[in-house]
Amino acid sequence: MAASIAPECNETKEQYDTCFLKWYSEKYLRGNTKSNDCDELFSKYKTCLHKALKEKGMDSMLDDARKSSSETDAEFLKKS
Amino acid sequence: MKVFSSTCTFDYSWDEVSTANWRKYCPWNDKVTHVVGVDTLSRTVDSKTGILRTERLITCNQSVPQWVSSLFGGSATSHVYEVSYVDPASKKVTMCSTNLTWSNVLSVRETVVYRPSSISPTTNTDFTQEAQITALCGGWQKIKNKVEEASVERFRENAKRGREGFETVLEMSRRVFGEQRDLEKHLQ
Repeated sequence: MAASIAPECNETKEQYDTCFLKWYSEKYLRGNTKSNDCDELFSKYKTCLHKALKEKGMDSMLDDARKSSSETDAEFLKKS
Repeated sequence: MKVFSSTCTFDYSWDEVSTANWRKYCPWNDKVTHVVGVDTLSRTVDSKTGILRTERLITCNQSVPQWVSSLFGGSATSHVYEVSYVDPASKKVTMCSTNLTWSNVLSVRETVVYRPSSISPTTNTDFTQEAQITALCGGWQKIKNKVEEASVERFRENAKRGREGFETVLEMSRRVFGEQRDLEKHLQ
């Protein structure tokens, strides 16, 4: 799996990515979309990542980018 | 504005492609060494539609043409923001990316779609990619054109390498999943 932008988050990221991939292929794609096997690992990884992004001064740039996704959300989050 | 687009078909099912897509930038893919980081910012499943929405930050280390860096300066590290949508009901993956670095001089918006192939939907997957590249810098049209052309060229090279590398990831994924299945059968 690819590395994190923050080396100190690599370990928790790896654990989360492995969990996610298993969940995606074995549950999500088989129709079990409501399961949340990896939530705990994700929140651990996210805590580490958000701290690192803040330290790198990237948080406000990302906040701006995330605001601009409402356009694609409107198009691709609807039922097709 | 310039548009770059490409299409291709992978000889793998949509389930396989959409799974392997999550590890497109892994060590199995030695063609995308310019991607040094892939971080997941958020991930949610829409309770009504089952659509999986993921936000990622992609970090690249890539040298730029000398004349570009002398015009705009800047470091070799750049960031891309990607939001993707997986619709399991219609079997469609859509990934939308925008550049975060140099966004005041250049806008690159890419949309990638993976869908079951229209000809053999159970075994093959169609891939389409479209990027709109617009130079935003003020000044001469000539320079804007040059910047756009250079960007399209770089995009074309990366797209080709990305596709070649993804083939390797698909092959490895199939092998590893197969071995895992055999092992599980063996243990039962």
